[in-house]
This record gives sequence, structure tokens and C-alpha cells, in this order.
Amino acid sequence: MIENHENFWPSLDSFEQVESRVPGVVVYAPIPEKKDEEKTRLYTCPNCGAATSFDVAAGGIACEHCGYISPVKAEVVGRIADEFEFTLETVSQADKGWGIKRQVLHCEACGGQLSLPEGAISTSCPFCASNQVNLTTSLDEFLRPRFLIPFKITLEQSRQLVKTWLGQGWFHPEELAVSSVLRRFSGIYLPFWTFDARITAHWKAQVGYQKTERHYNASQKRWETRTKIEWRWEDGTVPLTFDDLLVIGSSSRRVSHKILNRIINFQMKDLAAYHPDYLAGWQAQAYETTLTDAWEIGKNAIREQAKEACYRDIPTSHVRNFSMTADFADEAWRYILLPVYLAAYKFQDQTFQIMVNGQTGAVAGQKPVAWWKIWLAIAGLLTPGLILGMIGIPLLLLGGFGIFPIGLGIILFGIGAYLSIRLYNKARQSEAK
Amino acid sequence: MAIQVTPLEIIEEGQTLWGTNRQPVGCSHCHRSFLADEEQIHMLCPLCCSGQLEPQPLRLRPAEPEQMLPFKINKENLSLIYSDFTSGVWFKPDDFNVETLIQRTQAVFWPLWLVDSDVKGRWQMEAGFDYQVKSSKEYYQDGQWRSREIVENRINWESRLGELETHVDNVTVPGLEENNNRQQMTGGYQLENAISFSPKMVDSALLEAPDFPPEDAWALAKPIIDRRLAQVCARASDAQHTRNFAIKGEYHNLNWTQFLLPMYVTHYKDDDGKPQVLVINGQSGQIKGPRLASQKRGLRTAAIIGGIAAMMFLLALLGFLLTPIFPPAAIAAVLLAILGFGTGLGALFPAIWPSQWNRNHQTPKIAERK
Repeated sequence: MIENHENFWPSLDSFEQVESRVPGVVVYAPIPEKKDEEKTRLYTCPNCGAATSFDVAAGGIACEHCGYISPVKAEVVGRIADEFEFTLETVSQADKGWGIKRQVLHCEACGGQLSLPEGAISTSCPFCASNQVNLTTSLDEFLRPRFLIPFKITLEQSRQLVKTWLGQGWFHPEELAVSSVLRRFSGIYLPFWTFDARITAHWKAQVGYQKTERHYNASQKRWETRTKIEWRWEDGTVPLTFDDLLVIGSSSRRVSHKILNRIINFQMKDLAAYHPDYLAGWQAQAYETTLTDAWEIGKNAIREQAKEACYRDIPTSHVRNFSMTADFADEAWRYILLPVYLAAYKFQDQTFQIMVNGQTGAVAGQKPVAWWKIWLAIAGLLTPGLILGMIGIPLLLLGGFGIFPIGLGIILFGIGAYLSIRLYNKARQSEAK
Repeated sequence: MAIQVTPLEIIEEGQTLWGTNRQPVGCSHCHRSFLADEEQIHMLCPLCCSGQLEPQPLRLRPAEPEQMLPFKINKENLSLIYSDFTSGVWFKPDDFNVETLIQRTQAVFWPLWLVDSDVKGRWQMEAGFDYQVKSSKEYYQDGQWRSREIVENRINWESRLGELETHVDNVTVPGLEENNNRQQMTGGYQLENAISFSPKMVDSALLEAPDFPPEDAWALAKPIIDRRLAQVCARASDAQHTRNFAIKGEYHNLNWTQFLLPMYVTHYKDDDGKPQVLVINGQSGQIKGPRLASQKRGLRTAAIIGGIAAMMFLLALLGFLLTPIFPPAAIAAVLLAILGFGTGLGALFPAIWPSQWNRNHQTPKIAERK
């Protein structure tokens, strides 16, 4: 008999017997965490049977009909949320490009067949309006989103924010703030990759130091001061740490990266463990940019920042023959979903996008421009200079007094042209995708 | 735990063992015990060189040794080893020469315990599994980035536990209380070259008897057995690394036998006539022991050189006295004085060198026992 083994061994509840490669030795290993339920989750009210969805204000699953509320049983983990390494296995799987397929889903509520859009994770049945979350059928196990930031801004709040934002600026159409745009708003969880890395950057360059010296000018027969640059080879090391660098996982064909990047100020402290409840009644998109491609984007951003940091490390602005190396270490990644309100709307036969950060309420997007206002403003800016010029020319011909109005006209015209170009660019940017 | 070992038996004087003609003998000075053949009785103990090997009863487990390492070094090799060892020492003691060392060389087999055990128990550990991650090093030069992929090896530690019922064979543990000193003196042996014990291979070597009982050696054997078990469990778990291995088990059918290791011992006498023992690994030929210079010989040499210097001074003095009569004698006198001074200084070297050498060449000595 073996003595005291009850105290020696931990409980076997969390272990299972695994294959042993040596006869006479029995091996137990921890039971792997259970995989997410493969079946689609259907969200209906246990009281009245109506479709339920995640309610931002209540912070849980709510029924609009009977007022039933059930809190989401998920933990807010913040920045300490698990990260994954770039193991050869992960990278090889990522390179194969799993997962994002168009799929047909059988509605368990009404029996209808739903054709899900590419990459959709959740949906509402158009026949019975039941909410369904179908994450697991679309992605490989370890590349599913494990964390998300839940919506903090309600749909109504986001509409209000957009309404205020649309009303800002004098060169937009008056009817924009009251148009049908606001009715088309919907919340969506967009895919993002986060990357961490520790960089040790070593730089080497010729650094120039300005030196002032006096010399005798023989032709002028006097002492003069001149500045010259002395070049010296120098090197240095800059350690850098990158934490939660965000890379968009959606294709730029689907979502404007330019707009999204303007509202990307997410607070990672609100990162919560993934739970399908958060997605009930909301749209969610799976990633389209693969891990490898996203890491290339992230790596480019990191090394450019490392280069800037190396330049900052150099004490002067005179640099030539600059070279550097950046050693990456402790690289890690996460696949997460982040909340965004999206709207695509038409105005005068043109399509525009608006986005609201579902956590912080930051707004960015395209705003149509009332171009007649712009042209009018440009005309107003250029006119004073032109008029003064036109007055100055005959005066100059008559008696030479025209030089003053012509000079002033040229100055005013220049200022007007500069302001006009800026105004024009601003207007173009407002409409740009 | 109480361990099972074969019982001690008293081997009487004149009783032979293991198919050899060896009888038990003991040193009257250091009390080390050996099995010696008849011709070796009354010889000087080769390890302390102070007492004689006298027949005496010996408490010993009569089980035959299981394995041994044969001698690889023969007498010719020993001459070369001794020649290397003695050369480079100036002012050697008269006794410290190759011929004397060869003449006094004695082959000895010294013992380790070999332990076998059946083990049944429960174990737990952290098993380490190798995996690889991709990293990169980026280079920027002439306005362009280049990237080099780097693959790093890392270990993923996971908990594993289980049961085992296995046999562990031939764990070596000390058979002598002075095992550490003996290991230090002989250096390492390649135990994997061991052969089964054969009385023929013993030849004229003394067989040193173990004095570290299995009851005490078990405390050293168990951790080694457990380390072997950790490797077995790692293999069973398909893990490449282990840490924090713990086992709660029972060790049955312990079998203690001897493993004999070959060495030569010889000695020379220092200035005071004290024997200085040298130990040579019978497999690798490594030699260890005091390599002393003779202070007496150094002083003798210094005295001779000093005498010559004194003579030169006297002659120089004589030269100076002759100078009024024969002026050129002054030149010879000055030269002799300078030469005498240099020779006098030179006499310091043999006086100082032996003590400096002995201080700078402290080497391990075989354990002294009384």
C-alpha cells in the first residue's frame, strides 16, 4: 500500500488518463478546457417567448416585451486578457486562411433557412425575428475571438451624438441633421487584432554637430564668422515596448479604415471575456485580414515608430548614413471584437459612411458638402484682392498712385487663395471615404 | 523507511571470497580494510603508508561484486605519467623519482554500491514540452527595411501525475566514507565501460572493502533513483523536460552489490621522511597528489652557491690588498667583487624557490585516517 497518497495527490477531478509511452507508468493530464458549444445559441425570453437581445443600458440580456433582464455572466478582464504567442502552429494555421465561409443556418425557432453573410457571427431571423449567435461554426477553435468590449453607448445616445456631429459646420446641407440617416444606424462588433512586442532598436549614423568658427576673408580683408557641420559616427540603443497595438481585421472594402482609425480610441480596461450574450441582437463580423497579414501591418507600424524613436535619440537634427536593427521579442497577439455603430446613407445619390465608437462615443465619418456655399465662400475670399487690383491698375496708368492698391490687392488675393485652398481641401476631406 | 539488505557476515582470517584467493586484512594505522592475497599480508598499507596490512576478520556482505572497470593503464604508461609528474619540479626530494614511484606502485580496486530496486508509487511533476515561436529581426539601411525570420524554442510547462510500477537498475552510490575525497583524487570514470566482475581481472590488485553501510548510503541512493524515475515519467508523458518531480512510493527488493573501480597508489618521502601518497586513475591515467620540492635540497644548493660567492669576495679582498704593489690587481678585484655579489644574490633563489613552489602547488591529498 502507498502511504498518505490522499494528501500527496491533488484531486483527480480535473485530470484524465492519457497515453503513456512507457509500460508500467500511468499518466494523468489536466482535462482540456471544454470547447464552446458548437450549436447556434437562440435568444428567446423564458417568460414570454419573444426574442431577447443584449441591452446596453441594462448591461444584460433583456426582453423588450415583458421587461425580463438577465445579466451577462462574463468577467471584465481588461488589459490582462490572455495573449497568444506566434507559435509555428498558429502561424501555419493562419496562413492556410481558415474559417470565413458563407454558411446556411437553420433557425431553431421557426425552422427557416438563413443564408448568413460572409463572416457574420450573429444574426436575426428575418422570419421570426429570433436572435441567434453562431460564432463556432465559422472559425477554428483557437482563432475565435476570446475577448470583446461590450457596447457602452446606447443606440439612442449614438444617434444623438451623430445628430450633433452632423449639425456642426456651416458648409454642410441644412437638411442633413434631420435626414433619414439616423434611422439607418446599427451596432456591430468589428474584428480587431491587438499586438504586443518588446523591441530593442540599435542605430548607427553619422551625426552632424553645428560649429561656428571665425576666419579671415582675404578678398574682403576682414574677419568673418561661418557655421560648419562636423560629422561623427555614433550609435545607440533604444528599448521600446508596444502594448495592445490595434490592427483592423475587417477588409477596407467593407469598412473605411480611414474613418475607423479616427474613432479607434478604445479603452482596453473594459475588455471582457467573450460571451455569446453580448452578441445577441447585434451584428458581429469575423476577421477578413488574417493574423499573418495583420501582423505584417502591425510590424510595419512598430518598426516605423522604432525608427522615429531612434531619430529622437540622436541629439541633433543633422543625420546621414542612418541604419538600424530592431530585435523583436515577446511578440503576442489577441483577436478581439470592438463595438462600433455604423451607418451608410445616401444623399443626393451619393453614399456616405458614419461611425461611432460604441464605447467612447467618438464620431467620425463622411459629411456631404453644400458646394454652392464653398464656392460662394471662395469667391468672397478672392474678391477683395481682385477688386483692389482692378482699382489699382487704372490708377497706376493715370498717375502712379495705383502701386499701393495693387500691392494690397496682391497680398489680400494671396491670403484669400490660401484660405480658399484650405477650405476646399477641408470640404473634400469631409466627403472623402 | 527500513531498507532490505543482505545481512553482514564475518569473514574470518584466511577465508577466501568471490573465487579469488583474497583474505581479509586491515591496516593497523588507518584501519582501512582490504581483501589481499597471501603475498600481500604484512605489506605497508598503500593508502596511508604508515601501518601494515595484518590478517583480521572482516564484517562484509559476501555477495560477489556485480561489475568492475578493468585497468587500462599498464606499467609502461605509468612510467610516462610519473615522468611527466616529476619533471618541472626543481630541487625534488631524493625519493621523488620515477624508479621509486614505479617500485612502490600498488594496484587497488575501490568500491561503489550498485543498487537495484522495484518501485511502486504515485508521482507528480511539471512536464515541459518544447515548442517553437516565430520572431524577427528587422534591418533598416539605405531607406529600406529588410526582415529576417527567427525561430525561438520555448518550453510549455504542464502538470502531470500518475502511477508507476517499475524497476530501477544499477544506481551507483558511495561505498566508502571517504568517497568524495577518492572521487577528487581519481577524477571521473567512464562507468558505461563496466564489465561483469571476474576474479581473473583482479590480478594482483588489493580489493578495498566498503565501509559506508547501505543503511547510510540509501539516503544518497533514493534521490538518484527518484531522478531516474523522473526521466521515466517524462518519457511516459512524452515530455522533453521535468521539474518539481515528487513521488510517494515504496521501494522493494533492494539489491546491493559492489562496483569496483581501478586505481594505482604509490608514494615518495618528503624532507621529513613523511610519505606523500599519489593516486592514479586506472582508467584515465589522471594522477593527483602532493608534488613537493625539497626545502633541504634547496638550502644545500644555496649554501654551495653562497660558499662560492664568499670565496670570490675573499679573492677580491686579496686583490685590493695587492693593489699598492701591483695596481692592475685592482681591476681583477673589482670584477671579482661584482661577480661575488651576483653569485651571492643567486644563492637566494634555491633557498626561496622550494617553499614558494610548495605554497603555489597545493594539491588534494588522500584522506588521512587514524
